[in-house]
Amino acid sequence: MSPRSFYEAAKLNRRRFLIGSALGAGTLIVPGAGLRAAFAAEDVALASSIRSLSNAFHVAWNKGGEAFAQSIGAPHSALITEGNSEKGVADIRAFLAQNGAKSVLGVDPNDAPDARPIAEAVSEAGGFVTTVWNKPDDLHPWDFGDNYVAHMSFDGNPAGVDTANALFESMGGSGGIVALGGIPSNTPAIQRKAGLMKAIEDNGNIELLDFQDADWDATKANNIVSAWVTRFGSDIKGIWAANDGMAIGALEALRAEGLAGQILVTGIDGTKDAITAVKNGEMAATVDWDPSWIGGIALSLSYHAATGKLTPSSEPKEHREFYANGVTITQADVEEYWKTNIESSPPAPDWNDLWGRFDRQI
Amino acid sequence: MQLQSLQRWMPLIVLAGLCLVIGIIEPRFLTIDNLIRVAASSAMPLVVALGVTFVIVMGSIDLSIEGSLAFSAAVVVSFLSGPAGIGIDLGLFAVVVAIISAALFGALIGYLHVQMQIPSFMASLGMGFVGIGIATLLLGGERVPVDSEAIRAIALSRFMNVPFSVYLAFAMFGLAWFIQNHTVLGRHIMALGGGEELAAQNGVNIKRTRILAFTIAGFYFGTGAVLVSAKLGAASTLIGNGQLFAAISAVVVGGTALTGGNGGVINTLVGVAIVMVLSNGMIIIGLPTYLQQGVLGAAIIVAVLLNMHGRTPQLVK
Repeated sequence: MSPRSFYEAAKLNRRRFLIGSALGAGTLIVPGAGLRAAFAAEDVALASSIRSLSNAFHVAWNKGGEAFAQSIGAPHSALITEGNSEKGVADIRAFLAQNGAKSVLGVDPNDAPDARPIAEAVSEAGGFVTTVWNKPDDLHPWDFGDNYVAHMSFDGNPAGVDTANALFESMGGSGGIVALGGIPSNTPAIQRKAGLMKAIEDNGNIELLDFQDADWDATKANNIVSAWVTRFGSDIKGIWAANDGMAIGALEALRAEGLAGQILVTGIDGTKDAITAVKNGEMAATVDWDPSWIGGIALSLSYHAATGKLTPSSEPKEHREFYANGVTITQADVEEYWKTNIESSPPAPDWNDLWGRFDRQI
Repeated sequence: MQLQSLQRWMPLIVLAGLCLVIGIIEPRFLTIDNLIRVAASSAMPLVVALGVTFVIVMGSIDLSIEGSLAFSAAVVVSFLSGPAGIGIDLGLFAVVVAIISAALFGALIGYLHVQMQIPSFMASLGMGFVGIGIATLLLGGERVPVDSEAIRAIALSRFMNVPFSVYLAFAMFGLAWFIQNHTVLGRHIMALGGGEELAAQNGVNIKRTRILAFTIAGFYFGTGAVLVSAKLGAASTLIGNGQLFAAISAVVVGGTALTGGNGGVINTLVGVAIVMVLSNGMIIIGLPTYLQQGVLGAAIIVAVLLNMHGRTPQLVK
């Protein structure tokens, strides 16, 4: 959906950035880091292929990509797929044609099957790519030598368990809950729901009154929750949602009934409004995937391979297809999170710590 | 003649039947509190559907709904304090600016459609993308909170236990009814839907009427955007997602034909009520989530079938 104007703006920003970094390299020439950065800038071209710049997740992803690019002094472009697989692959091909073996990519494939042509095109050009979230199960980075550096994803299962447990705790450990799921065929929706179900089973004192798919949509979630208030009334002690957008929709439905803060809500994704709601005592928990870190680290993985600091083929398989950790934010730790991440800008991640958030092999 | 009048009342009969059936299965559906909830959920869809009704009655279509909603919601938060603010905090007056901008946006769609001879579906679809683009620029892709108690109050404060948004939606319905039945413009819009050449021969200024119809639609989309951002407490580019299909299906279910020239705002009121009663009712009676979409889809097809009855199937393409 994101229009062409944005792509143009991204290009413009890149030009501005190039001028800025050239000036910056001049002033930084005394410390050794400046020299290396200036050298690296001529050496590689970075690109992040993402869905759009109309959602907070990919905006933060893009910022992380820019931050990493700045840290090494290399140019960075955002390739916007606009939710269109053909455009996504074609833009990557064009980028490869322009930059050849200097191409360093971090890609969120629009759809799982897209990962294959992307990996093939990148290895043909001699570039380096790391994919995030989507790829077919039978496509493996190790089948492409060093060029397909790694695939990183996030397991919704523990996120579902953790947020559900935080919700149960806020209810005193027992009672009825209702739950909102995402688009039922989406992998994150399936994993997060499975996590919720497991937490309910492990707890034993929680009754799942109803589960409805609200398709990640806040308005839909809002309408469903207001119908639930009629159906279950005061039997509802908590609301679990598979993402923050729906959690906020649910929270607003409770607010309209004067129930916000009495019935707590949980979400997943760590959007700012959800974290604010946790801080205000209206939500019990959310999980922060740190999309800005994702955007930077995906490029960093590819960059380390491109500069020879990392030889993917000599890494264990678990380093090439892995789940990374999210951070669960509950009411107990939200104050601290707020101080370090919202009030002050969070410390720049260590982009050389490639496996710092490694969870397990996929 | 009798069959025709039965058909006229069909949507209302369907609505009454639905309420009855759901109420029998689950009596809590018919409690005052729940009916207020249904009304509150219907406020935004009603206003948006009323807007598109003027365009559909004219025999055209406005596919810009999602983009127009995103654009107007972005304008609202641009004139408030907050991360997307441009530095001028207008408070409740931001709503007026947003609605006027939305009306102008609609006028531009109408102008492109008429002056450049672009079919309405294409002009509005294109402008819808433009709206999404502008919203993306203004909001930076974030979900931006609506930082105004006064605007939030539209959804959150109640008068006689009914949210203000419901009164506002009814006022918008009254206005639409007045425009349709008691103004020259309303009659001209209907005449265009009945047959453009005939209308032209009778002195209707076709271009002006078309542009004004799209302007009214934009005005209503702007109001809808205010309602939804007041309700969700935030504006985002995705705020209009799904509303295009919801609005057009509500119009069709209400008995307004996509060919234009019949139906109108009362049909739309009934259509929105049918769709919202159905979606609220299905949750209250505990219908599994995978069945709900199917039931809604089937309801739309049945509604269209009931409407087609007795009409020459000219447009079955």
